[in-house]
Amino acid sequence: MIIQIEAESDIPIYTQLTNQIIEGIARGEIAPGDSLPSVRAFAADLGVNMHTVNKSYHELEKKGIISIVPKSGAIISPTERISEEKKQQIITDLKPVIAEALVLGVNKKEVQEFVNTILGEMKER
Amino acid sequence: MSFLIFFIVTLFIAVIQTFIPYLVKRTIVFGVSIPEQYIEDHMIKKYRKHYSLSVAFLSIIILGSYIVWVLGNERVDNQIALTGVIIEFALMLISLSFYLYYHGKTKLLKQQNKWVENLKAMQVTDLSVRKQDEMLPWYVYLLPILSTVGLMIYTIMNYDILPDLIPTHWGPGGEADAFTDKTPISAIQLTLVLLIMQLMFLGIHTATKKSGIKLSATSLQASRNRQLSLRKYSSWLLFIVLLAITMLMSYFQLMMIHPEIGEGTVKMLIPFGFLLLVLVGTLIFSIKVGRSDKELETRVEARIMDLDEDQYWRGGMFYFNRNDPSIFVEKRFGVGWTINFANPLGYIIIFLPLILIFLISFL
Repeated sequence: MIIQIEAESDIPIYTQLTNQIIEGIARGEIAPGDSLPSVRAFAADLGVNMHTVNKSYHELEKKGIISIVPKSGAIISPTERISEEKKQQIITDLKPVIAEALVLGVNKKEVQEFVNTILGEMKER
Repeated sequence: MSFLIFFIVTLFIAVIQTFIPYLVKRTIVFGVSIPEQYIEDHMIKKYRKHYSLSVAFLSIIILGSYIVWVLGNERVDNQIALTGVIIEFALMLISLSFYLYYHGKTKLLKQQNKWVENLKAMQVTDLSVRKQDEMLPWYVYLLPILSTVGLMIYTIMNYDILPDLIPTHWGPGGEADAFTDKTPISAIQLTLVLLIMQLMFLGIHTATKKSGIKLSATSLQASRNRQLSLRKYSSWLLFIVLLAITMLMSYFQLMMIHPEIGEGTVKMLIPFGFLLLVLVGTLIFSIKVGRSDKELETRVEARIMDLDEDQYWRGGMFYFNRNDPSIFVEKRFGVGWTINFANPLGYIIIFLPLILIFLISFL
C-alpha cells in the first residue's frame, strides 16, 4: 500500500499517516493480521521523525485498529462487534462535516452521492 | 608492474568521474534536487555534457602525459608509484572542482526558474517495499568470520614453526617487505585485523539494511527500481569484496606459516587479481545501479514534487538530517552510499573499527 504525505499541509503528518492507514484497511489493501513496518523502518522509508510514526501508531492503537505487540511490531486487529456507544460516537463525528456541507450549499442528494462514492472505494470487512 | 596497476586504477577513476552525471539518481543534478518535470531541461543537459567533456578531456591529457613520462625515460618503481598517486589525486580534485562549479550553476538555475514554486511537496513510501528488498541475509557473513577464527586457531597451533620475523606489510607484487619480532600477538595480528574488518563490513551491511528505502512521489516505479538495485547489488559487492580481502589476507597468513605455498607466479597474480576483481565489480555495480532508474518513461501529471531535501545536503555532498533515523543514504553525486552525519551510530560503525585496526597495527 502506498502512503503519501503532504509535507506542508495544515493537517499534522501523524494524522495524515493515521488516516491513510485506516483508509488502506477500509479499501482492503491491508488486512487484519498484516503487520505494519517497524517504527524505525517506516520513519526511515518515509523520511519523517520516528516520534511522528510512533504517535500515529499509538493513535491507531487507542482507536483499537492495531495492536502493538512487543518484538513483533504493530499488527492490524481483527474486526470486533461494534458497540452502540461507538456507533453514537461516529454519528457525532459525522454530524459537523455533513452540517458544514449543507451550510456551504451542497444539497442532501449530493451529500448522499458523496458518501456513496467514498463507500464505493471501500469494502465491508 | 606498478605502472600497469597505477594506469588501470587512474583510468578507472577517470572513466567513473566522467560518467557520474549520467549514473546518479534521475532527479539529482550536480547534488541539487530538480523536480521530475524539469529534468529534461536543455540547460541541465548542457551542464551534464560540459562536465563530462571537460573531465574526459583533462583525463586523456593527464593519462597521456603519464604514459609519455614513464616510457620516455628509465623510471624507478618508487617514482612511478608516487607520480601515480599524485595524478590520481589530481584527477579527483579536477572533477571535484568541476562538480562544485556546476553545483553552483544548477542551484542558481533552479532558483531563477522558480522550479519549486507552485509544486506541492510530497513524501511517499510503500508498505510492501521492505518485502521486495533483496539484500543478502546477514548470516552469509558467518562464513568468512568462521574461516578467520579457524585460521587464528591454526596459527596458534603452529606457533613453533612460524619464522622469527613476522611480516607486517606486503609490496604490490605480494612480497613481504616489513617485519616485526615473533610474539603470540604479532603472530595472529593479521587475522585479528581481518576479523575486525569482517565485523565492520557486517555492521555496514546491517546499518544499510535498516536505512530508509526512499521512494519518489513523482517516479514511484523508477525510484523503487533504483533503491532496490542499489541495496541488492551493494550488498553483493560488499560481500564479494570482503571475500576477496579474506582470501588475500588468509593467503598472506598461510604463506607465513608455510612459505613453500607462496612460490611461483601465484604470488604476483593474487594481489593483481584482487585489484582487478574490485575494480570490475565496482564498474558493473555502478552501471547496473546507474541505469536502473533511467529506462522507464515517467510522466508527471499532478503539480507535485518530492520534498526538497537540499537543506540537509552541505555542498550537495554531506548529509546532516537529525530527523532521519537512516544511518546511510544514497549518495547524491556518485553511485553508492554516504553516511548521515547527524546520526552518531554511523560514526561508531565506520570509525571504531578503523581506530581498533590502527591500534593493533601500531601497538
